[in-house]
Amino acid sequence: MNELNNIISIIGKETTRAIIGLIGVMVLVVINALILTWAERKVAGHMQRRIAAKEVGPFGLIQPIADSIKLLGKELITPVNVERPLFYLAPTLIFVPVLVSFVVIPFGSYLQVKDINVGILVILAFSSLSVLSILIAGWGSNNKYSLIGAIRSVAQNIAYEIPLLLSLLAVVFMVNSLSLKDIVEAQRGLWFVILQPFAFIVFFIASVAETNRTPFDLPEAESELVAGYHTEYSGMRFALFFLAEYTNIFIVSAIATTFFLGGYQGPILPGIVWFFIKTYFLVFVILWMRWTFPRVRFDQLLNFSWKVLIPASLVNLIITGGMLKL
Amino acid sequence: MVKKTLEDIKNTLKGVDASEISYAERGYHLAIEAQKGSLIGVVEFFADKGFYLADLCCVDYAEYLELVYLFNNFKELCRVKVTLKVEPDKPVAPTISHIYTMAHWYEREIHEFFGVYFEGHQKLTYLFLHNGIDCYPLRKNRVPVTDDDKKLLDSFKPEEEEDAFFINLGPQHPSTHGVLRVVLKMDGEYILSAEPVLGYLHRMHEKMAENRSYQQFLPNPARMDYPGALLFNLAHVAAVEKLCGIEVPERAQYIRTITCELNRISSHLLWIGAFLGDLGGLTPFLYAFDDRENILDILESATGSRLTYCYFRFGGLYNDIDDTFIDMTKKFIKRMHERLGMYEKLITKNVIFINRVRGIGILEQSEVPKYGCSGPIIRSTGMPFDIRKVEPYAAYDKIDFEIPTGKTGDNMDRYMVRMKEMEISLNIVEKAIEKLPSGPINAEKVPKKLKPPKGDVYHAVESTRGETGVYIVSDESDKPYRMRWRVPSFSNLMTFPALAQRTLLADAIATMGSFDLVIPEIDR
Repeated sequence: MNELNNIISIIGKETTRAIIGLIGVMVLVVINALILTWAERKVAGHMQRRIAAKEVGPFGLIQPIADSIKLLGKELITPVNVERPLFYLAPTLIFVPVLVSFVVIPFGSYLQVKDINVGILVILAFSSLSVLSILIAGWGSNNKYSLIGAIRSVAQNIAYEIPLLLSLLAVVFMVNSLSLKDIVEAQRGLWFVILQPFAFIVFFIASVAETNRTPFDLPEAESELVAGYHTEYSGMRFALFFLAEYTNIFIVSAIATTFFLGGYQGPILPGIVWFFIKTYFLVFVILWMRWTFPRVRFDQLLNFSWKVLIPASLVNLIITGGMLKL
Repeated sequence: MVKKTLEDIKNTLKGVDASEISYAERGYHLAIEAQKGSLIGVVEFFADKGFYLADLCCVDYAEYLELVYLFNNFKELCRVKVTLKVEPDKPVAPTISHIYTMAHWYEREIHEFFGVYFEGHQKLTYLFLHNGIDCYPLRKNRVPVTDDDKKLLDSFKPEEEEDAFFINLGPQHPSTHGVLRVVLKMDGEYILSAEPVLGYLHRMHEKMAENRSYQQFLPNPARMDYPGALLFNLAHVAAVEKLCGIEVPERAQYIRTITCELNRISSHLLWIGAFLGDLGGLTPFLYAFDDRENILDILESATGSRLTYCYFRFGGLYNDIDDTFIDMTKKFIKRMHERLGMYEKLITKNVIFINRVRGIGILEQSEVPKYGCSGPIIRSTGMPFDIRKVEPYAAYDKIDFEIPTGKTGDNMDRYMVRMKEMEISLNIVEKAIEKLPSGPINAEKVPKKLKPPKGDVYHAVESTRGETGVYIVSDESDKPYRMRWRVPSFSNLMTFPALAQRTLLADAIATMGSFDLVIPEIDR
C-alpha cells in the first residue's frame, strides 16, 4: 500500500486518475461492444420471431466472445489497388474520438475521468473526427461503393451535427455551463426532458443519424452499397468499425442521459446503476428502431435535417432564450 | 375482335395472306405469313392497333428458319401469329426493334441462338452466352459461329467518360436477388443510364426440352421460376394437353386452381420480404416466411415437395388431395386474412415506406405495349389484363374473382396490387374448395409415350409475375421439335433501363425490387 502511495505521490494525483480512468474506459468500451453485439442479436431475433443466439453459453452470452475470437483469427485481406497507408489508418483512427469522448462523461457523482469546463465541446469536436476516418476508409478502399458510402456519410454528418448542437445548446442556456457535471447537477429536481422535450426529440433523431443507424444507415446501406465504406475491410479491421459503431451508440445514449434524463441521478440505487439503466434503455430504443423501420432516401434525409430539424431547433432555442430572459 | 382485325388486315395490308385458325387447338386466332418486304408493314399495323409483342422466337425447320412473332391485345383477346421465313445459310431479317422496344432483346436472343442477323438493330451483341460457345446452340445442324460473331461474345465493355463513372450492380450484390448484373452509368448518386447484363444463370432449358420426351421435361419448368413453380408446371402441362387434345377431369382442374393460387400467395409473400429488404427493413422478411412456411406445409402434403414442385401430369395430377389438405388450407385462409391486416398496419401505413415508394418508378400505361410486360406491373398502371380472366384455363372460368388495378403505375401501386392479389387468391381458394367436385383426377387413355400430332401450339398462364407462355412445335415424335418459353420477368426487366434513368440509386433499387424479378426465369 505504501508503495502504491509512493507511486501516486511521484506521478501526481491527476495523472493517476487519468491512467486509471483510461484503463476503465478501455474495459468499458470492450465490454459494451460485447454486450451490444449480444443485445442486438437478441433484440433482432425476438423482433423477427426467432430465438437468436443460444448455443454458446447460457442465453448465448458467450457468443460475442466466440465471435471476437473468430474475427481475430481471420485473415486481414488487403485488396491490391487500395491506398495502403490510408486503408490501414482508417480503422485505427475511427477509435480515437470514441475513446476521448468517454473522458468527460460523468458515470456517477465522482466517477468521471476528468471534469472539463467545456465538456460537451470536447465530445462534439471529437465526434466530428469520426467522419474523417470514414472518409479515409471510403477513399482509401478504392471501391466505388465505399466512396459513395463515404460521401454520403460526410454529407449526413455535416447536416445532422447542426441540429445536434442546437438542441444541446438549449440545455446549455438553461444551465449556463458547458461542464457535463454541472448539467447533471442542475437536473436534481426536474429532468430536462420535461422542460425541453422538443430538444430531446431533435437530439435523439440527430444522434441516430450521427451513428449511422437505421433508418439513417445510408453510408452502409447494404441493399444499395453492399456495405458502404467498410466493404473492403475484413477480419479485425472490420471489427474495429463495428466496435466504434457500438461505442458511438453508447456515447450518444450517454450524452442524452446526461443532458435530458438526469444522468446518474435517481432514488435508492447508486448513481452509476441509474446511469447505465437509462443509457441502455436508450440504446435499446435505437436497436428497436433498426429492426422496425425501412431506410430513408438520401435526399429525404438531408431535406429532413435542413428543412425541418434545423429551423425547428432554432425556434426552440429562441423560445428557450426568451423564456430565460423573462 | 378477331373478325374485325381480320377485316382490317384485308383492307389495309394488301397482298398479305391472313387466315383464321382454330383457337381451341392452336391457342392463337390468326396466322399471317409475311415476307421480308412486308414484315415491317405488318408489325407497324399491329403497333398502331395497340397490340403488344407477346413473344418473338425462331424455329429451325432445316430447309428454312421461321421467325415467329406472337401479338396479342390488352383490351380484348386476339392472338396473332406472324411468321417470316429466312434462309438457313445466311439468315437475315429486318429488325422491328424500332417499333417494339422489347424486340431489342428477343432479336439479340435469336441472333445468338440461331445466327440470324437483324438488319438495322442498334446493338446486336450476345445477351445470354459467354466465351466458349463455338456454334449456334438451337440450330438443328451444327453451324459454327462466324468470326464476326465471335467478336460480339461477352462484348460489354463500358467506355470511360468524363463526369460519369460506372458501377456494376451485381452479379454479386445483395439486392439483385440472384445473379443479375446491371451496369449503371452514374453521375454522383444519379443514374444516367442502366443496362442489364444477363446470362449468369443461363441453362438452356429450351435446348434441354428438345432432347428429352414430354414427360422427362416435367421437372424442368419448376427450376425456371422457383417461387412460382406450380404455375410454370401448369403452363407446360396445359400446352401439351392443348396440343394433344387431352380433356382434363373437372376435379383435377379445381385442384390445379387451388394449388396454383396457394403457390401465388407464397410467391408474393417471398416478394414482400425481399422488397422490404431492398428498402432497408429486414424484419418483414421473417414475418413473410412465417406465413409462407404454412403454405409450403400444405403443398408438401399434396405434392411431396416444398419448393420446386412437379405436381401436374398430362391429363391430371400426380396425387389427389385429402381432407387434411382441405382442413389445413381452411385454417391457413383464416390466419392469412388476419395477417394481411397486420401487414397493412405495419408496412402499408409506415410513413418512411410510403415516402420511399409513392411516385417512384412510374410506368406509363401508354408505354406498356412497347415492352409487352404483364402481370402485376401492368395491372398497377390501371390495365385490368389478367390471363386468368381473358383466357381462362383450369377452373378460373367457373370462379368469380376481381382483378385489382392501380392508378399511377408507381412502386406503391405495384405493392398494393400484389397485396390485393393475395387477398383475392385466398378468396379463389375458398370458393374453389367449396365447389370442389368429386371424381377422377386423371384423364383416361393418356398414352405413356406422348406423341402429339404435327403442328404448333401457344398456351399462356398468368404466373405470379405475368404472362408465362409456352410455344411448342411438334413433329409427331415423342420429343418436342421446339419448345419456346415466353417468360414474364424478361419483358418486365426491359422496362427497368427506362424507369431507372435520372433517378437516385436508392430509387432504382426500390423499382427493381418492386418488379419481383426471378433471375433463373429470365435466363432460362
